[in-house]
Amino acid sequence: MTLKRQLLLVSLLTLVLPWAGDQFIRETESALRANQQQMLAGTARAVADSLAQYPEEFPPVRHDDHLFGDQLYGHPLETRPEIDGYFDDWTLDEQSLRTMRGVDGPIRFAVGLADQFVFLYVEVSDRKVVYAGPGTAALDSGPRFSDRVALVSTSPPYLEETLSFAAEAPGPIVTYVKTAYGFAPEPTILAHWQDVPGGYQIEARIPASKLGTHLGLVVSNTAAEMEAPVRSASFTSQTPGAFVRISPELSDEARELVQNGMRLLVTDSAGWRIAQSGSLTMPSDSSGGARSAWLRIAYDALVESGEEAELAEPDPSGREQQEYIRQALDGTPSVSWFRSSDSGKAVVAAAQPIRESNTTVGAVVLQQGTDAILSLRNQGLSQLITGTLIITILVAITLLGYATWLSRRIRRLSIAAEVALETDNLRISLPSSSAGDEVGDLSRSFSHVLRQLGDYNDYLRSLASKLSHELRTPLAIVTSSLENLEHEPLNEASHGYASRARDGADRLRRILTAMSEASRVEELMQHAEPEVFDLCAALSATIEAYRDVYPQRQFHFDTNVDTARATGSPELIIQMLDKLVDNAVDFSKAGDTIRVTLARDAAVLLVSVANPGPSLPERMRSQLFDSMVSMRPADGDKHLGLGLYVAKLIAEGHGGTIRAENTDDGVAVIVTLQGDANGK
Amino acid sequence: MAKRIAIVEDEAAIRENYAAAFRREGYEVDAYEARAPALQAFDTRLPDLVVIDINLKDDVEGGFELCRELRSRARELPIIFLTARDSEFDAVSGLRLGADDYLTKDISLPHLMARIAALFRRLDALSKPQVKENRLVRGDLDVDTDRMTILWKGQPVGLTLTEFWLVHALARYPGHVKNRQQLMDAAQAVLDDNTITSHIKRIRRKFIAIDASFDAIETVYGMGYRWLAE
Repeated sequence: MTLKRQLLLVSLLTLVLPWAGDQFIRETESALRANQQQMLAGTARAVADSLAQYPEEFPPVRHDDHLFGDQLYGHPLETRPEIDGYFDDWTLDEQSLRTMRGVDGPIRFAVGLADQFVFLYVEVSDRKVVYAGPGTAALDSGPRFSDRVALVSTSPPYLEETLSFAAEAPGPIVTYVKTAYGFAPEPTILAHWQDVPGGYQIEARIPASKLGTHLGLVVSNTAAEMEAPVRSASFTSQTPGAFVRISPELSDEARELVQNGMRLLVTDSAGWRIAQSGSLTMPSDSSGGARSAWLRIAYDALVESGEEAELAEPDPSGREQQEYIRQALDGTPSVSWFRSSDSGKAVVAAAQPIRESNTTVGAVVLQQGTDAILSLRNQGLSQLITGTLIITILVAITLLGYATWLSRRIRRLSIAAEVALETDNLRISLPSSSAGDEVGDLSRSFSHVLRQLGDYNDYLRSLASKLSHELRTPLAIVTSSLENLEHEPLNEASHGYASRARDGADRLRRILTAMSEASRVEELMQHAEPEVFDLCAALSATIEAYRDVYPQRQFHFDTNVDTARATGSPELIIQMLDKLVDNAVDFSKAGDTIRVTLARDAAVLLVSVANPGPSLPERMRSQLFDSMVSMRPADGDKHLGLGLYVAKLIAEGHGGTIRAENTDDGVAVIVTLQGDANGK
Repeated sequence: MAKRIAIVEDEAAIRENYAAAFRREGYEVDAYEARAPALQAFDTRLPDLVVIDINLKDDVEGGFELCRELRSRARELPIIFLTARDSEFDAVSGLRLGADDYLTKDISLPHLMARIAALFRRLDALSKPQVKENRLVRGDLDVDTDRMTILWKGQPVGLTLTEFWLVHALARYPGHVKNRQQLMDAAQAVLDDNTITSHIKRIRRKFIAIDASFDAIETVYGMGYRWLAE
């Protein structure tokens, strides 16, 4: 694994920072919220305690009243609606209309309270409206029937009244009250019957004192005068359900208790709203909107979302049904959090049960508007978090950059060392050699090693010539002694020995000469005066000579130029060619063709000697031109592996290069030389 | 009277061997190990020919000093330098010390003897008038084979004995290519290609010093050298 990847992995550790930051944000956020919720819950408790002092205001908890559907809620109205049979002037949302099933379709109705009056609105779907006959509006028994709406009002256990709304014709109608004593018109009740397509609508105004504690709606629908009507009722049991309305005492109390920016709801044990005060003031945009949008998005991703804020609104039906309120009605105080993620507004709500001698008579719901992301409100906090994020990114980038720089340094050093080895330029100074850190140490060690290697190579190279030099004098002694010996009177045997010794000495001299050839060539090149000569002519003349010297080989000379001017020492070049041809002859068989080519490529002359024969093993290709390297099978004394070394000396001494390559059928040695710049 | 040869050589074995060889040929030999005793002896009596090893023990300059001394006393005295490496030839001959020949120590005895004989012959020839038949004239080249001197365009060219033999071999048959073997034989020495090249280079340089347009010696690549006829 490269250094960069390693450091990248390590720098992944810095991801701990944002993770820690994330945890921090979450923790802070939940702590802030918990704090707010706790405060609100505390206030709710206080309110619940003080409201518990008015237990009489709470409708009694009746266990058979879990049939909430039987109960009717009297919505507080802000203004008195006009009794015209239309709902549009009620200050009530349409959603507040209750729906019950009728014969010909749904029946929608609502009961509202304003001043001392109870207002009733009923929408009935009726395919055929059957009016009451003259004088029969009051009666609801046979033989003649009509479509009518009845409001049953009871105050258990004794009182029961039925208000009957029937029409002889659309328009204002007379309401008949049926008591135990019989029917009588009730002039204090204003009612209006309005025909609409698909049915009719009734609106009525009833003095509140006329109604009891329980209220129920019964709608009768006949298809024809003589037919018995089908009745639909808002209560399923025998008697109507309770009539729940706002408690003025509790409302006053609530008004006093509620704080600024909070909404206070008081419900009875069934969840019906019996007091409401206050309103949510959302935090102004100035504190939330200053944060940039991207930050908000980032936080949204990190922070848990609550429920939708719409659910914080009081239930239009009049009965609160949310989970947290239900829990409170069960006796467990609870808190809930609503937020709208795009507007940034939120509502914290606390519900507290109101207990009176160990029973829950109702619940207090306290709601407060707040910022969706509290931590952003705190400027210092958000700056800290932003700063941490930025720092993390910077650290990661810096680490990556450092890793890149470090790995590049090491890579450069490695490449330089390899280049030094390859080009045999072992004394170049490596990069980072003056650095003070470990990479610098490494570089200096490398330089040291390479220098040692260079020294050793130099020693090896000069070994041959040094050795030969040392051996010359002893050889001279041997030779001259033998020469003298041969002039002495010797018998047959002695002559034999002497001449064999002479031969041995001659061979030794030839070896020494070969060994010192390299250094002689070096010296020759040092002192040689370069002259301009025609390489092409020289090559072709020499190749002619080779044809005589090596009759068992064919020689082929290819060239794409007529003349090739080069500067240097022609004798040395020819000597080099001798070496190459010598090799080519040795590694090929009788009858083979040795190809010599001369080509010009811009200002560079290429001379190549190619022979068929065995290929070069890959690892030898660079070593081939080193001193004392020979690929031949042990061939006695003739070949010391210096031929190609001398060839390399001559080639490089002329500013050129030499290399060996494998060809299809053998080996080619290619020499490049500097031709004359004038391009001829 | 037998000629007297002095040999100054610090390597005992070589000194003894050479001395024995000289004596066998009939010369008288004085063998010295170092410069000082040699000079001392030369104060009393000069030899007829001196063989000097340049690399005298502990005395690198010794050989050159000796040569200078001798030359100052006898201008025509034949002096042969012995050196361990032929690579020193250039350095040595560049010093223009005026020795008559430079040889490597591994020269064979017969070759050495041939040189000595030639040098004595030359000495004799110098004291006699010139014999016309033994002169070789090729264009601007004037070779006296007795005195072993060469004139180019009338000017003397200071060649060593070996160089003389080479030029003589080339110029004898102008236009003929002399290969390495033939040149070696002519030079009475075992020479490899590089050494021959060096000799030819030196010869050319000496001629060019006199005549910048000299190009009579032509290299025939792969074959040898030849003297160009005009």
